[in-house]
Amino acid sequence: MDPSRIAAALLAWSVGVASTFAADVLDPFALSEVAPGNFVHYGSLEERAPGNMGDQANIGFIVGEKCVAVIDTGGSAAVGRALRAAIRRTTDRPVCWIILTHVHPDHFFGTAAFREDRAVVIGHENLPRSMGQRARPYLNALKRDLGDHAAGSEVIPPTQLVRDETVLDLGGRTIRIKAWPVAHTDNDVTVFDERTGTLWLGDLLFVSHTPVVDGKITGFLEVLDTLSRVSVQRFVPGHGKTDAPWPQALEPERDYLALIVRETRAAIKRRKTIEEATDEVGLSERDKWVNFDDFHRRNVTTAYTELEWE
Amino acid sequence: MNPLCKGLLAGLLLVLPLGAAVANEKAEPDPAKSQYWPPIRQMMFGEREILDGKDVVRVYLSTRADDASTVPVAVKAQIDQTPGQYIKQVYLIVERNPSPAAGIFQFTPDSGRAQVETRLRFEDFSFVRAIAETNDGKLYMASRWVKAAGGCSAPGDKNRMPANLVGTMKFRFADETVEAHKPALVQLMIRHPNESALASDFDDTRTPQFVRQVKVTYAGKTIMSADVDFSISDNPSFRFYFVPEKEGELQAIVEDTHDKRYVHREIIVEGVPLPGG
Ligand SMILES: [Zn+2]
Repeated sequence: MDPSRIAAALLAWSVGVASTFAADVLDPFALSEVAPGNFVHYGSLEERAPGNMGDQANIGFIVGEKCVAVIDTGGSAAVGRALRAAIRRTTDRPVCWIILTHVHPDHFFGTAAFREDRAVVIGHENLPRSMGQRARPYLNALKRDLGDHAAGSEVIPPTQLVRDETVLDLGGRTIRIKAWPVAHTDNDVTVFDERTGTLWLGDLLFVSHTPVVDGKITGFLEVLDTLSRVSVQRFVPGHGKTDAPWPQALEPERDYLALIVRETRAAIKRRKTIEEATDEVGLSERDKWVNFDDFHRRNVTTAYTELEWE
Repeated sequence: MNPLCKGLLAGLLLVLPLGAAVANEKAEPDPAKSQYWPPIRQMMFGEREILDGKDVVRVYLSTRADDASTVPVAVKAQIDQTPGQYIKQVYLIVERNPSPAAGIFQFTPDSGRAQVETRLRFEDFSFVRAIAETNDGKLYMASRWVKAAGGCSAPGDKNRMPANLVGTMKFRFADETVEAHKPALVQLMIRHPNESALASDFDDTRTPQFVRQVKVTYAGKTIMSADVDFSISDNPSFRFYFVPEKEGELQAIVEDTHDKRYVHREIIVEGVPLPGG
C-alpha cells in the first residue's frame, strides 16, 4: 500500500469546517512531567462530549536536545492545538515526530494541529490500513458527538511505519518504538525513553477506565505477560493514572481480561449463545471500572467470536 | 453475487452519498419517516403492499449495540411452518449500510421453524427491517432501531486468518442430543474474513472476498438457504432450526465472491451426543 495515496485519499475525509472557538474549554491544559523530559497530559475518563472536546486519551511528548516527539495527539483538532500550545510553552525544540500508539480516534484526531511542524507521523505497519478502513465512520461519529467542536479534525495516517522496532534519536536521547502483535488493536506500539526508563503504553494499559479489546483478547494477555517482564522505571497508561508500582499496575487489567476469557470459555462450553454470554460474563468486575456499561459487553462479544473457534 | 443485492448496492451508492447524512439521532426516529427506506423498498418490493408484521415476524437485537462489527440479531417467525402456510423468505435489511440487503433467507416447511440468528455489521445508526414473505405472497415487516456505527468498515481479521482456514466450518448444536421429529436448533459457523467492500476503499483492484450464498440441507432436503452480503460479520454465523429423523446428514454448502465453494457435513443420530460445547 502506498502511504501517500492513502494520505491523499484521507484528506477528503477531514471535517472541513473552520473553527474559531474552543481553546478555552481545554484551558488550562495540564501537563505532568512524569520523568525528566517526559510530559503527560492526562485525558478525562468521561465519555466524549462537546464539554471535553474529545480529551479522553493520555497524550504527551518527550523533549530531546534537538527534537520533540509527540506521543498521540488527542481526540480532536482542538485537543491537538492545546497540546501544541503546551509544547510551545515548554520548549523551543521543533516537533520532528508524531508517534500514534494505535488507531483509536481519541488518540489521533489532533494530528492536524501539527501540520505546520511538518513532523513525520509514525505508527504500526498495520495502522494505515486500519485508519483507512475507519476514517469515514470515525469522522461521522466525531461530528455526531462533538458537533462544531469536531472542526479541523482529520484522519492523518503515518508515513513512517514500524514493523518490529524503530529507534529515534531526539538529540542526546534515544527512544524505542516497538510494534506489538494483535492485542488491544492490530496496530499497537509502545514508546520507551531509554534515558529515564519511561514506557508509554498507549492503550495496552487501561487504569480505572474499562479496558477495551478491539484486537484479540488472548493476544492482549500474552502481550501483558511480556510487558510484565520488562524493566521499567516509570510508565504512562493510555487512560487513567495510578500510583501502583510496575509491573503490579498491569494486574487489574490482566485480571479483568483473564476473567472474561475464563467465563466466556465456560459459557461456550455450556452451549450459551453470544447474547447469553454477553449478559452474564464478567459482571463481578463492574464496580472496579469506570465506563463499564459502555465497553464491557463489547469486550465479551469480541472474546466470544474469538474463543468460539478454539 | 445475488443480482438483487448487487443492484441494490450500486443503486444506493448513487442515491445516498456515503457519510453525507450525519444526523444527530441520539433518539429513535419514526420508522415510517426514514428517508433511507423508500428507495430500498422501491427497489426490492416495488409497489407491493407491506403489512404490519407483529403477528408474523419479529426481529430481536439490542437497540444499543456494543460492537458495530458484530451485532447479534434474531429474526423469529410468529407462525408455524406448515405445508399449508409458511414463511418462504425473510429479507433482512440494514437500511443505512452501503449494501442494505444483509441477507435473503429461504425456508421450507421442512425448516421446522422460520427463524435465523446471525451477526451484522452496522455502518451507522440504522433501522433494521425484517420482511417475511409467506407462501401466499404476502409481505410482513418488523423494524428495529439500532445505535451502532462504524462496523462495516471495521477490519475483519483477515490479517489474522491463515488462508488454509478460510472456509472451515463447524456445526454447533443448542442441545447435547436431538430427538427425531422435534425441531432442533443448530448454529453453522463459517471461518471466513467476509471482507467488506468498504474495507477495500484503498485497493479497488481486487474484489472483496465475502460469502454470498449458504445452503443447508438435511437428509437431502433444503432446510435453509440464503443469499448474503458483507453486512454479515466476519466468520459468518447462522443459527436455525431443522427437524431431525432417527438419523440423517446435515450438509452446508457455502460459496463466496471469489467463486470458492466450501462443504461441511455431519451425520446426526438421535440420542448421540453432538458438538456444541
Ligand atoms: Zn484505544
